[in-house]
Amino acid sequence: MAKLKKFFRYENVGMLFVLPAFLYMLIFVGYPIIRNIILSFQDVNAGNLVRGTKNFILFDNYIELFKDSVFTTSLWNTLRYTVLCLVFQFVIGFVLALFFSQRFSFAKPVRGILLVPWMIPVTVTALMFKLLFATDIGVINYILRSLHLIDKNIEWLTTPGTAMFALICANVWIGIPFNMILLSTGLTTIPKELYESASIDGAGKVQTFFKITLPLLKPTIESVLILGFIYTFKVYDLVYVMTSGGPVNSTHMLSTYSYKLSFEMFKYSKGSAVANVLLVILLIVGVFYIKVTTDGEDA
Amino acid sequence: MKKRKITALLTALAVTAGILTGCGAGGNESAPAADNAPAAQESAKEESGGEAASGGEAQAITIWYYWETEGHQVALDQVIQEYNGSQNQYEVTAKYVPFADFKKQLSIGASADELPDIAILDSPDHASYVEMGIFEDLTGKFDVSNYYEGTVNSCTVDGKLYGVPFGANCLALYFNEDMLTQAGCSVPTTWDELMETAKALTTDSVTGLALCSVQNEEGTFNFVPWLWSTGATSYDINNENGIRALTYIQNLINEGVMSKECINWTQGDVMNQFISGNVAMMENGPWQIPTMQAEAPELNWKVTLIPKDAEYASVLGGENYAVINGGNVDGALDFLTYATSEEKVKFMMDKFGYISADKTIAESQFAADSPYQPFVEELNYAMPRGPLAEWPSVSDAISLAFNQVITGTATPEDAAAQAQATIDGIVK
Amino acid sequence: MMDEEKRLSHKKNILFSIVSVVLLCILLFPLYWALITSLKTEQEIFKNPPTFYPHVLNTKSYAAQVETGDFNMFRSFANSFLISVGATVIAVLLAVPASYGIAKYHFKARKIMLLSFLVTQMLPVSVLLTPMFIMFKNMHVYNTWVAAVLADATIGIPFSVLILKNYFASIPKDLEEAAYLDGCNKFSAFVRILIPIAKPGVMVCAIFSFLYAWGDLAYGMTFILDQEKRPITAGIFNFMGQYGTKWSYLTAFAVVTIIPVALIFIFMQKYIVSGMTSGAVKG
Repeated sequence: MAKLKKFFRYENVGMLFVLPAFLYMLIFVGYPIIRNIILSFQDVNAGNLVRGTKNFILFDNYIELFKDSVFTTSLWNTLRYTVLCLVFQFVIGFVLALFFSQRFSFAKPVRGILLVPWMIPVTVTALMFKLLFATDIGVINYILRSLHLIDKNIEWLTTPGTAMFALICANVWIGIPFNMILLSTGLTTIPKELYESASIDGAGKVQTFFKITLPLLKPTIESVLILGFIYTFKVYDLVYVMTSGGPVNSTHMLSTYSYKLSFEMFKYSKGSAVANVLLVILLIVGVFYIKVTTDGEDA
Repeated sequence: MKKRKITALLTALAVTAGILTGCGAGGNESAPAADNAPAAQESAKEESGGEAASGGEAQAITIWYYWETEGHQVALDQVIQEYNGSQNQYEVTAKYVPFADFKKQLSIGASADELPDIAILDSPDHASYVEMGIFEDLTGKFDVSNYYEGTVNSCTVDGKLYGVPFGANCLALYFNEDMLTQAGCSVPTTWDELMETAKALTTDSVTGLALCSVQNEEGTFNFVPWLWSTGATSYDINNENGIRALTYIQNLINEGVMSKECINWTQGDVMNQFISGNVAMMENGPWQIPTMQAEAPELNWKVTLIPKDAEYASVLGGENYAVINGGNVDGALDFLTYATSEEKVKFMMDKFGYISADKTIAESQFAADSPYQPFVEELNYAMPRGPLAEWPSVSDAISLAFNQVITGTATPEDAAAQAQATIDGIVK
Repeated sequence: MMDEEKRLSHKKNILFSIVSVVLLCILLFPLYWALITSLKTEQEIFKNPPTFYPHVLNTKSYAAQVETGDFNMFRSFANSFLISVGATVIAVLLAVPASYGIAKYHFKARKIMLLSFLVTQMLPVSVLLTPMFIMFKNMHVYNTWVAAVLADATIGIPFSVLILKNYFASIPKDLEEAAYLDGCNKFSAFVRILIPIAKPGVMVCAIFSFLYAWGDLAYGMTFILDQEKRPITAGIFNFMGQYGTKWSYLTAFAVVTIIPVALIFIFMQKYIVSGMTSGAVKG
């Protein structure tokens, strides 16, 4: 009983609040993670998915992957895609969040409407952008031509470099409202009195931004960035629909390649191995996030 | 006060515990009614006629299919309803699984032991699922001697029949007759003529030729006729013939008579470009005809054989029925026997815009001036892809090679060599 | 620039409003394009150069939304709504206490738990589908909306925990301590004092959890086989697939899926907007 009482001491009560959500996630995603790790060390394909032996071949899948040029391209693609998307959607989202925190008449309704892109299934968004970026009938080329910025249609989705650019545009478009709304609500937690006293002290706007807004918004910014990183890093629908990894595998991401291996080519174990590489990279980023956000506060 | 905290905790634990036990329990309730079928079958059949006479409930038979076109769904459903009305032992229901999800759902279903009794699947994938061991051996149960050889081959592995062809199709060349007349061209029959015609037809707003070139099975489907026409095979590309096929497609792009955007156009997209008048000729299949007639009734088009290099060649497409071996095999066979009867096949083929896989039916299926008729002729030159369990990997190599030459990321020689290296690693 | 208390001058108000509308037009141009595409004929969509408004008005694409095979718009809308609300309720109920626990209590397993919430987000959908499928089958919820709810909630929970913990963390400790002095225990302080203050965060998490579930396609398609139980996103396959993309139908589908959600947002705007922007903490 005494032990139990000790357990219910102040700090551990907090764990009880966390436990239900933790167990829920453990049940529904814990098993898939473990299964996936096991699968990646086996050689499961069409021949032995249902019957026959599933040999453990340990790291062979991983070794093969790093010799596979499509995999290394996907890895590199995923990294640069994530970083570029994150930078643009965060910066634009932040600027918009600051802009809409001003008290002008249209601020609230317009900010509300900007959430509309989120109401469309990503698959449809991806198709829309495919139409916008089409070479001959696409409106983006038409506008650029009308503005005399180009004199020949750009083959957006059929040239490796520009296809990546088009994907990034589509993702940034979806990501802007996400960043803006989360940062907007973050801004509301900053006590207004702080700004008042700052302006009494004669601090300029830039100074206020760096001395008050940024530091107080730091936890929100960190959360938005880590979530954005994870969601962008495992992007699937958007790429699959817009380019299917093409032209010539130049826009394959780890997730699309994993899907292709598992469900189009019946190489289940190799598909799992790709997913695990993705997981490990995100894990490193995740640990880094935890370190940055919790360091010092426990002291 | 403390009580409330504990109550809350207990509730939370109870909820999670419920989930946990729910997760652990159960497990083995799939494949019901699999073995109590055969005996009852005979007796139920005799007293058929509609009214539920016998005590037992009809056994459920499930079919998975992927046609999203309403006409296809309605036609299949009609046959199923007629079947359900004709006997009361089995109750067949069809479930729609989208084409894009079909392979995935079958794979997942196989892992989880949750499959239908019958699958109607794309023929090049057939061998892979046979390899997976989920299909029933149907050797000797269906008479397929009158079927096109290629269609039977697509569901035959090691001499055993693992499916029944549903219907056949192949690719041929569509051309916009008005444009052709206007340019003063005749119908091309060889590669050289095709190139000349395509050049003549290409204007500022029209490209001469289009063929679906996406980098997946659909693209491979559209590429192999060109490959095979040279005499190259799917497994032997790095030679004069294979390189000639790749070079020809590359020239179509370089001459500006085919749009690079074909790599993003599905066959349906190609058709849409064709009926919109942006494309003068296209490689496509007969299943587009109903849509084309409905969407662009005044468009003047005709179909001809795909022009040849060394020999005429086309690719065989279409679906096969397969019976899942863990399911209600007897019921599945009973339905398939019904659905593959001449009358039902004729009905469905007409509604689908498909050609019967049964040669004798196919040859009398269409009037001589029907737009479908050229496809029946083309079927004589059509070969299946595979059958090979690793076909998806071979297909990937082929479509990659063609995509490389179309986008100019590799020369035909390099693309052929690279594809060959991949294929050699698969087919020893 | 950051000064919220001072109302903007009349001139600035007009200027900012104009700028906001311009921004809106630029950002929502793809939506405008979807709308006009849905009203064009297929031939016009393929016109080169593209047209900025439909020259021939075509409303066939909207009629098609209601009459495609066994896909029923209204029914699948109801399915989606049920699934999304279910997933949102689970996500909020579990994530709110969890984020509070993480923000306010420094127990030992805290970092590990926070990390594991992140980790659960790190697998791509493709490798989650099979194991989840097996689990749902064993739980006897395969091919029911429950499966989709349970799966969709796994997106909302970690997201909400990560966002909400910042709100709880920003609430000063003395507020909580004042509650204890008033006779609250930890649980009632949490419910009566902290949740109301964190309302903007809770609201945003609910909105995003709802929208994640609303836009989900993979889970709904894989875990629900009966067309009549599938979510609205499943309808997309009627307009794209083996026979090509029917752009007018597809964009009409997009417009139609936006409308109900947009209506819900407009009707609830009072709550959402006040939830999102009120609740600033007195420091």
